[in-house]
Amino acid sequence: MDLEISGARVFLEVPIDVPFLGRFQLSETIVVSWIVMALITLTCIWLTRDLKEENISKRQAVAELLVETANNFVIGNMGEKFRYLIPFVAALFTTSVVSNLISLIGLRSPTADLSTEAGWAVVVFIMITSQKIKTNGVGGYLKDFTTPIPVMTPFNILSELATPISMACRHFGNILSGVVINALIYGALAVASSALLGLLPGALGKVLSQIPILDVGVPAVLSVYFDWFSGVMQAFIFCMLTVMYIANAAEESS
Amino acid sequence: MQDLVGIVPWTFIAQICNLFIQAYLIKRFLFKPVNEMLEKRRQRADAEIREAETAKEEANAIKAEYEQNMLEAKDKASNILSTAQKTAQLQSESILKEASQQAAAIREKAEADIEQERQKAVNELKDEIGGIAMEIAGKVIEREISEKDHEKLIDEFIQNVGETS
Repeated sequence: MDLEISGARVFLEVPIDVPFLGRFQLSETIVVSWIVMALITLTCIWLTRDLKEENISKRQAVAELLVETANNFVIGNMGEKFRYLIPFVAALFTTSVVSNLISLIGLRSPTADLSTEAGWAVVVFIMITSQKIKTNGVGGYLKDFTTPIPVMTPFNILSELATPISMACRHFGNILSGVVINALIYGALAVASSALLGLLPGALGKVLSQIPILDVGVPAVLSVYFDWFSGVMQAFIFCMLTVMYIANAAEESS
Repeated sequence: MQDLVGIVPWTFIAQICNLFIQAYLIKRFLFKPVNEMLEKRRQRADAEIREAETAKEEANAIKAEYEQNMLEAKDKASNILSTAQKTAQLQSESILKEASQQAAAIREKAEADIEQERQKAVNELKDEIGGIAMEIAGKVIEREISEKDHEKLIDEFIQNVGETS
């Protein structure tokens, strides 16, 4: 049988050529991103409905727990002065987790598109760089590339650029590998079940061999690792790296 | 269909925008209400603690006042008691004194009365016995005794009676 693993589908194309950017394509990635955003925002609105000061509901307890966890994560790793970054880190984490896990309901993860992670990584890279320039000044920032000796400059530039690339590729690679492995497993199990049931004699075997019975249940076990664990883990790693890099950039002046 | 691995500029830009929109939405719909509520709760807790502290201070003041009052009351009570005791003692002393004076007066009067009565009795007896003696003597010696002898005899007799009585 044929097995195809492809990029995001394109639903709509605007036939206007913009220089450098090309034609706008409304891809699956963007549409599913909107679904993810809607899901997150609706959940937030639902969680924070009629907040009370005392005698709180379970829903409110969850909302408070999430807020407290985000506050502790950012302030614990970066300090009080980065309080303004809490919504950004929270958005990064929730978008990443929900995007990773939305593949469970059959949609294509927006994070299985390198454009998504590249966008996030570039934003984080700009934040790190601006933080470095803020703490050391432009001169200090540029001078930092020549340490410990001027010969190291090209390598320092490389390692600086490697930060966003590695962040983006690590996340993308993990999610894409999950997509690929899931597709392979579904295909392989369909072939296996058709071969197995084709052994049955007569018409019964012909009918049953068309139904990929082994596809029911078995991939779910593997999905625990490739979707759930890997998805949550990569989101956490991405946020942790963001927080750590920005905090380090702020500390260099001392 | 887009490439499996590759960066599509429009998607790239859209996803950056989406990330910031999401950050704003999360801030607006999760962090803002929850943080406001947490802040309100914290303020209320602070206010309650302050209230409790003032109430405690008030209670302490009231307690100190009460203790002060109790102390004063105790002092007053002991004062009153000691005054009463003194008064009672004075009174009892004066009563006793008066009683003994009265007793002494009564006794004196009684003694005077007794003396008077005795004197009176002696006088009566003197007259009677004098008469009787005169009669007896007259009968015995059958002769008139001179007035002078008579009186002498009576006096002698009375003297003897007085000593024996």
